Amino acid sequence: MAFLDTYNTPLNASAAAHLLRRATFGPTRAEIESFTGKTAIQAVDILISNVSYRASPPPPVEMNASRSDAGLPFLNNPLTANPVLNYDYSNYIKFWWIGLMAEQNGRPSVLEKLTAFWQNHFVVIYSAVQDYRFIDRYLRLLRSNALGNFRELATAVSKDPAMLIFQNGNESTKEHPNENYARELQEIFTVGQKDFYGNHNYTEQDVKAAAQVLTGWQAKNLRKAGTTQIETVFTPDRHDSSDKTFSSKYSNAVVTGRSGSMAGDEELADLIAMLLGHPECPKFICRKLYRWYVNPNVTQEIEDGVIVPLASFFASASNNFEIGPVIKKLLSSNVFFDTSNVGAIIKSPAELMIGTVRFFDVPVPDLTTQYVYFEKLTRFLNDSMKLLQLELLDQPTVFGSPAYFQTGYSKNWINETTIGIRGKRTDTLVASNVEVKAGELMGVDIFGRLKKIQPNFSDVAGTPAITCEQVLDEFLRNLFAVDISQSQKDFLIDSIMMMNSSPRSTWMKEWDYYRSAPNDTSKQAAIIWRCRALLRFMLRMAEYQIF
Amino acid sequence: MMVPLMLDGFGIKSFAKGSTLVQSLRQTAALNSDRVLVMIYLAGGNDGLNTVIPLEHYSKYYDLRSNIAIPETSVLKLAGAPETGFHPVMTGMRSLYDEGKLAVINSVSYPNPDQSHYRSTDIWMTGVDSNQYATSGWAGRYLNDRYAGYPVNYPNSEMEDPLAIQIGQISTTALLGNSQGMGVTIQDPNAFYQLIGEGTARVDTSLPCCDAGDLLAYIREKQVLAVGYAAEIKAAADAGTNLAAYPDASMNNELADRLKIVARLIHGGLKSKIYYVELGGFDTHSGQVGSTSVEGTHAELLKKLSDGIAAFQNDLKLQGIEDKVLGMTFSDFGRRATSNASKGTDHGIGAPMFVFGTGIKRQMIGTNPDLVNGLLPELPTVGVSNRDIKMQIDFRRVYGDVLNDWFGTANSKTDQILFKDFKTTSLFSDVVQSISSGSWANPEIWSNGRVPTALTQIKINSGHIVEVGQNITAKELKIDAGGKLKFLGDYGVKIAG
Repeated sequence: MAFLDTYNTPLNASAAAHLLRRATFGPTRAEIESFTGKTAIQAVDILISNVSYRASPPPPVEMNASRSDAGLPFLNNPLTANPVLNYDYSNYIKFWWIGLMAEQNGRPSVLEKLTAFWQNHFVVIYSAVQDYRFIDRYLRLLRSNALGNFRELATAVSKDPAMLIFQNGNESTKEHPNENYARELQEIFTVGQKDFYGNHNYTEQDVKAAAQVLTGWQAKNLRKAGTTQIETVFTPDRHDSSDKTFSSKYSNAVVTGRSGSMAGDEELADLIAMLLGHPECPKFICRKLYRWYVNPNVTQEIEDGVIVPLASFFASASNNFEIGPVIKKLLSSNVFFDTSNVGAIIKSPAELMIGTVRFFDVPVPDLTTQYVYFEKLTRFLNDSMKLLQLELLDQPTVFGSPAYFQTGYSKNWINETTIGIRGKRTDTLVASNVEVKAGELMGVDIFGRLKKIQPNFSDVAGTPAITCEQVLDEFLRNLFAVDISQSQKDFLIDSIMMMNSSPRSTWMKEWDYYRSAPNDTSKQAAIIWRCRALLRFMLRMAEYQIF
Repeated sequence: MMVPLMLDGFGIKSFAKGSTLVQSLRQTAALNSDRVLVMIYLAGGNDGLNTVIPLEHYSKYYDLRSNIAIPETSVLKLAGAPETGFHPVMTGMRSLYDEGKLAVINSVSYPNPDQSHYRSTDIWMTGVDSNQYATSGWAGRYLNDRYAGYPVNYPNSEMEDPLAIQIGQISTTALLGNSQGMGVTIQDPNAFYQLIGEGTARVDTSLPCCDAGDLLAYIREKQVLAVGYAAEIKAAADAGTNLAAYPDASMNNELADRLKIVARLIHGGLKSKIYYVELGGFDTHSGQVGSTSVEGTHAELLKKLSDGIAAFQNDLKLQGIEDKVLGMTFSDFGRRATSNASKGTDHGIGAPMFVFGTGIKRQMIGTNPDLVNGLLPELPTVGVSNRDIKMQIDFRRVYGDVLNDWFGTANSKTDQILFKDFKTTSLFSDVVQSISSGSWANPEIWSNGRVPTALTQIKINSGHIVEVGQNITAKELKIDAGGKLKFLGDYGVKIAG
């Protein structure tokens, strides 16, 4: 059974949950149920076709209720001279994106997770650009091309105004070519620094030559108050029109020097074609996708059995660097569903925080009509992710977040401090003071959930109470990617839920007291107290940190 | 606390941890082993040439980077080293230099340098050749060797504190041991304690197969260690006191804030051997200087560095623990000698490291980069205007000296940790040694990378033939059996004594 062959077993709940955890920021339970029984191909097709539902969501709005244009879009306004407003707008763009990741509209899709992949690949950070319009344009470019063609994406990114600012292309002229982008384009965007065996994929001379090819591009109207448009311009006078010769790593390719207004585009097309023609380029991209979606640990067997064939499919004449088919192939493959790859990644802060919101159906308020509450929830998520060392649209380096490239990969999310913060933040998701609707606090709906598993709720005398074991099973269902032992279950019931002080039967009494007087707050309190303790503990367990 | 040690038949564990007897035993055991290393990583690749300015080549320096050059008159002069100066904001580090507490290691790099941030940083952190890979860090391997078996049964009576502490966020590769991180990463001791408390993380030993099992074990281990160390770290932070003034909060000097925590923990008796802190932002491709070349991004960074180190060293002095702490800076790589048109500098090769503390025995290793005849490429082809600074000192020679001479590691162990035998720089020694055969006047044959003067104590090592083509003077000259001075003419040696 070859790694990349299609996984043909109909998805059981665990496999459906696995697919949804990896392809999105985490499933709701309804999504798991609706995907159960489908084939991998059917499931992935749905995840891809659902992209169209959110291809053009309503734009971000002013979320500060005290401002006169609260609730209104701001992207088409002339650039404000007020730095506070500029910064707030950049946050709203981030919140807008987080809202799309977290919302539960019944249409799970690969879009936001894949966009996040590209945002961590073709990194641009707000701190370096400091003009929200550039970040908006860049994010939209990634989002609308996430499933498109890699050649087009790499080309567009290379002259994206935000990238020109971040990687200094803006200042690169024929007299003084700036090597920053030329290096990153090769090292981290296309061919990769080294191949799987440690051989260099390009030389320092190739960096210099690529820098010459890329001279002449500039971004217009950065931070220029009052302007309504940003754009990229090419100035032939700033462009080096000589021939650029590359090393044997690129088969001694020459990018013919051009002059005139189309010189930049023509040479860029040649350069991208040369980079994509490098045999390591498709492997580099496919290896990174594998690490993102399947397992950061790429063994020789995986290199030979997954990366190499997937790369040759990616670069094949028939596919021609289309991204969508590669995602489909990978997410519906045997290797993706192999049990050894379940739980093989530590959740990023996004998978942890947004995943929890989705799993417990914490409602995401409507951006346009409930912007005050929308802002509260998404700001909480953004602040949490930041504390946990994930800054969307503001990674610490051009390489992205360390957990995606540093030795140890996803283990980098965990240290003594982040373990503590993760726990604090998931505690807050279980119960909080964060309002998500007027009068409604963010948290897990414990009663709603338990009432569903209690038959004949009101018939206290005739129908026995649900047991501790049933309560635990209800909260455990699809919560973890891996099974836990019976001794762990006993510990959760006796030491956490019953707090080492009461027998299990006490729970049934307390539950029946509540059934008899469901509006009595003191009866509710006993239930809430035990269930929240249980949930908080479970979300702090090592098992909840992997997916 | 379990203490297996028996004393006159009484289990020592019956004594409280704070009792005089236990305290005195701990102090005895701690003698010679209480030395601390503080690593400061300057993330992004520091521009060495605007940090330590080679005044002796000033006009060439200016030619290479006129749009960012520090005016000659603004450069801070160093006592006893008129040929070299510091960036004008580095007044604190200049004072340390003048007091003999700070050393400059010039043009540090490694053979076949890599100019990728990620890879070059990885090379510095793991301590390998540029064509080798390691999954552990050099400092982590040292700790792994010194505390075999960690983290199983840690904390314990012999080491109840973390082996290393990183004040920061993402754990550094430098502290990775053979199978896991050897350090504890915290942002602040009190916050850490509040976060972790003395909670009861339950250890479950059953693990699923494959990577999931490996990850679960890793996370559980971190949970246990966090709980095990939180109280110790807090106790040290409570017991320690900062006695010096640090840059106030309005300066936003995150490095000083972190060093302040380090000083407090060391003073409070934490036994951790290595502390690790970072200052980011050194990747100055553009806008490295502001409207004048003495202000702007790089000046702000160097000010943070210098103010932070100076306050820290002063604090240690006032706390009376100056002699047990050594500090060291490093970065991804140096930046190019030639500036770019964006008032910035691109990735380069050699750059200075700083080592500070009272433990150093010399203050200048290597010489100013030779901007006149010593740049790379050595013979630039037509049209090549970019020039780089050639390596003088391999960074692993400095690591080797820290391990051998500062921590007292056996040489053979150090060679294992660094994967080979690196020559000393004599940073912690009064004696300069020959490290190869060659001409007396060639700085490269001397361990400190400098031609000896009348003040130098010299040892010619076995197997080295040093050719003398001039009259020479030294403070002391010892020739090992098998070593040789070969006079190329009628020259003499004068021992200044």
